[in-house]
Amino acid sequence: MGNPIVEVDGMINICILRIEGTNCEQETYDAFLELGAQPELVHLKELTPQNLFDYQCLMIPGGFSSGDYVRAGAIFAARIRSNLISALREYVDTGYPVGGICNGFQILVELGLLPRVSEHPEACLATNDSARFECRPTLLKLENHCAFTQKMDIGSVYEIPSAHAEGKFVSPLTEELMGNGQVIFRYCNPEGEYAGYPWNPNGSQYNIAGIANEQGNVFGVMPHPERAFTIYQNQDWTRRTSTDGAHGRLVFESVLEYARRL
Amino acid sequence: MEAPVLTADSEKLIEISKVTGAGLELREMEKIAEYFSQKKRNPTDVELQALGQAWSEHCSYKTSMPILKEVLLDIEAPQNMVVVEEDAGVVTFDADHAYVIAFESHNHPSAIEPYGGAATGIGGILRDVVCMGAQPVALVDPLFFGPLDYAESLPKGVKHPKFLFSGVVAGIRDYGNRVGIPTVAGQVFFNQGYISNCIVNVGCIGIVRKKDIIHSRVGTPGDYFILVGGRTGRDGIHGVTFASAELHENSEHESRSAVQVGDPILKEPLIHACLEANQRKLLTGMKDLGGGGLSCAVGEMAYAAGYGAEASLDDVPLKEKGMESWEIWISESQERMMLSVAPPNIEEVKQIFQKWDVPCTIIGKVIPEKVLRITHQGKIILEMELDFLTKSPQYHRPYTAREITPVIPALTPPEDYNEILLKLLSSPFICSKDWVIRQYDHEVRGATVIKPLQGKIGHSTHGDAAVIKPLRNSFKGLAITADVNPRWVKIDPYWGAAAAVDEVCRNLAAVGAVPHSLADCLNFGNPEKPERLGDFVRVAKGLHLVASAMNISFVSGNVSFYNESHSGAIPPTPTILGVGIVEDIRKAVTADLKRSKNSLYQIGEAENEMGGSEYYRIRSVYGNQIPRTDPEKLKNRITTLLTAISRGLVVSCHDISHGGLATCICEMALGGNTGVTVSVSDLLDVELFAESNSRWVVEVEKGKETEFEALFEEDAHYLGDISGKRISINDVIDLSLREVRTAWETPLWRLMG
Repeated sequence: MGNPIVEVDGMINICILRIEGTNCEQETYDAFLELGAQPELVHLKELTPQNLFDYQCLMIPGGFSSGDYVRAGAIFAARIRSNLISALREYVDTGYPVGGICNGFQILVELGLLPRVSEHPEACLATNDSARFECRPTLLKLENHCAFTQKMDIGSVYEIPSAHAEGKFVSPLTEELMGNGQVIFRYCNPEGEYAGYPWNPNGSQYNIAGIANEQGNVFGVMPHPERAFTIYQNQDWTRRTSTDGAHGRLVFESVLEYARRL
Repeated sequence: MEAPVLTADSEKLIEISKVTGAGLELREMEKIAEYFSQKKRNPTDVELQALGQAWSEHCSYKTSMPILKEVLLDIEAPQNMVVVEEDAGVVTFDADHAYVIAFESHNHPSAIEPYGGAATGIGGILRDVVCMGAQPVALVDPLFFGPLDYAESLPKGVKHPKFLFSGVVAGIRDYGNRVGIPTVAGQVFFNQGYISNCIVNVGCIGIVRKKDIIHSRVGTPGDYFILVGGRTGRDGIHGVTFASAELHENSEHESRSAVQVGDPILKEPLIHACLEANQRKLLTGMKDLGGGGLSCAVGEMAYAAGYGAEASLDDVPLKEKGMESWEIWISESQERMMLSVAPPNIEEVKQIFQKWDVPCTIIGKVIPEKVLRITHQGKIILEMELDFLTKSPQYHRPYTAREITPVIPALTPPEDYNEILLKLLSSPFICSKDWVIRQYDHEVRGATVIKPLQGKIGHSTHGDAAVIKPLRNSFKGLAITADVNPRWVKIDPYWGAAAAVDEVCRNLAAVGAVPHSLADCLNFGNPEKPERLGDFVRVAKGLHLVASAMNISFVSGNVSFYNESHSGAIPPTPTILGVGIVEDIRKAVTADLKRSKNSLYQIGEAENEMGGSEYYRIRSVYGNQIPRTDPEKLKNRITTLLTAISRGLVVSCHDISHGGLATCICEMALGGNTGVTVSVSDLLDVELFAESNSRWVVEVEKGKETEFEALFEEDAHYLGDISGKRISINDVIDLSLREVRTAWETPLWRLMG
């Protein structure tokens, strides 16, 4: 839709990683394509410790990888672990951005890349307090910056929808994350207050919707920025008089900006 | 094993059909005996089972097709590309693309095993769309159950409506969400008549480049049949024959194995792989394995191209050891597709499926003679002419039309209109369905631009139709809705069916879409009972009345008979799925009221035809004068409404249906979280609560009233304006938004938790 507004000097290659049950890859792909980047849908089998470094950004999209019949993201994470984990840690150490949306966030936690590098998961995206899958618009307040938010403003409220059954962020490290700026987005109401259900759709500690690692280049978020790439994806766009407000788009613009400067 | 039909008398023939579970009638068994006496041998068990599948009502439409061909399927529209003859209909979308529609029932399995039945219903409808080469973009789920608060004792073997409802919703949720296709529309209806037979219909819309459309027929002799997807097991044995008989108290015990087991995480890569192989032009044909399994797919694909087939069961990947030949041949195990591939392309096709870890097996090839020949473990287990096997008998069964004697109840106006309106809003037919809708991922793929719940965030209301923007580089959209009021169809099949098409069209127009094509899922009782078939004929005529006036066709559909048990038949339920074209989604309209001081209008007039209405139900009176429809009026109003929307005069629009005008206004007000002040003429209960067809409420931008009124002339009636935080109508209704919201939002949550 329209012309890309980000002018890119060299092509930025984006790896959009998928296995069976990944199902938000096309819209994630389209978002990057729209902004002039060069996204590629890569099956996990096709990714090697070597060709990983051909990409300037790794994205793990939403879905139900392998069905999520055990803990969400656990199987995808185990399959990445088996041959890619050390390459992936090196990739992160080098400073490349890694993003996980919804199931992707769950996978990054299961992999031990969020909230920090660890052998075993140090956080969990637990079953929603409502005990069911819920698809609804959510509002997020930007708390701190990371590689995926440079084009957004701290303290502003962004409309990005949620759709998950396991999104309740729980961790023994939560206090620490709150203290050292690793909490990126928190759910809020239209007045910007940290409100309860349904504004916090899952019961997350401190209304946490998205976090980053300490370096700020690994980012996980439950709501779907790729579903807020144009205003026509917002629930209430017919009420608006301007075409501003495609908030998810800013996430993609931010990471491209970050990747270009690497 | 042989079935000894050559020496059997009538009694014995029926016994053979029963014992084998083939489900064939006596006259069909006689036809089979005659065919095999010419061959001078008895049929094998595999042959008898294959005939049972192919000639079942579910597969062959042997009762319904003669009627549908005569009264419904003669409408021609220039946009149609493939109509009725394949698994899905194909209709032009733009110069390079077409959309694909399929619509089916999964009633019997869902009544026995609601979670698995509903889930595999989605699996099947996705395959119907994929096998035309299309990417599925939306799912639709109209559901019909007994009353959720049903407290009397249930017939033996029947499960409580609440159990069935929550199981079906969970099945749709877990399969649809996992496979990554949004569920964007549907309806939920409750009636005593569905206690023993719930109705679970499922529709799917897909998008395909015209040059990628593929058909369910092979290319030429020498092509290979490649079976891809899941393994074949003992789940789903006799699904179609199960669907072609009445349910009874032992159905669960006897037919549990007819319900298949779904696996969305095999389906998801199966879809990717099939579409990739097709886009790379490696296939000559593709068909889904649904009802009848291999038995229907192989023969039908070959026969459709005028050829025959040879296949072996030896290499079919199985779920368990020791399966009988006939079980492999007719199993309806899920997640399987059949491809026909020319020999040079075999390796490339295999590589694609290997990448996705999806099993891919050559099982046979196309031969020039119109014969089907199947071997297993060195023996020929089936050898029949396809002219005999595939051409099922067609029946002109007797039918009678019921007499409808008019009943108009004597009814005094209510004392308290506020109370009536609150009761209407909390009726299960009208109240918010967000308990269901939010459990479905309705925006995966990121293309749902008009959602099923719309309005101010935190104050959602129901929309009329969802809109999908299927192509990245185009603002053209597909509007999708499904409707029927079975209470009306039960009272009067002709006008009830006409009203269903009217409602579909006005829902599409309400969002700014031109009605473009229809699909029908016709759920009825046992057609061998003349009164049931009489209803079916009149429904088909009623559908035709409105569809032909609108000049749109039924491009695909499904007939589900035998929705009947020892406690009676369901209300006749012709569920109608409609697709409309939105030229520019940026001009689409939602139902939520937008701005204070804007004017409200009613398009069309209420008539005193309140039979089958929510108002009568709440006042506990019976009347059978259901709303009629004048298709020419409907057509003219839709044309004018679409003009008004494209000129930007209309900022919100909602169709008037269940509960009438007062309910419609409340739903619009809830979405905008704003009040209204409205006045109507004196015949209050008719004005406020009648459910007459071909009507909408629209909000017109301040200052554009004159232009709007000039367009509609006498069809537009000024109602009032948007103001404050109360719903105020004449001097009889005065309610706060909070009271209205509580009445409308909470009932389903209270019942379902």
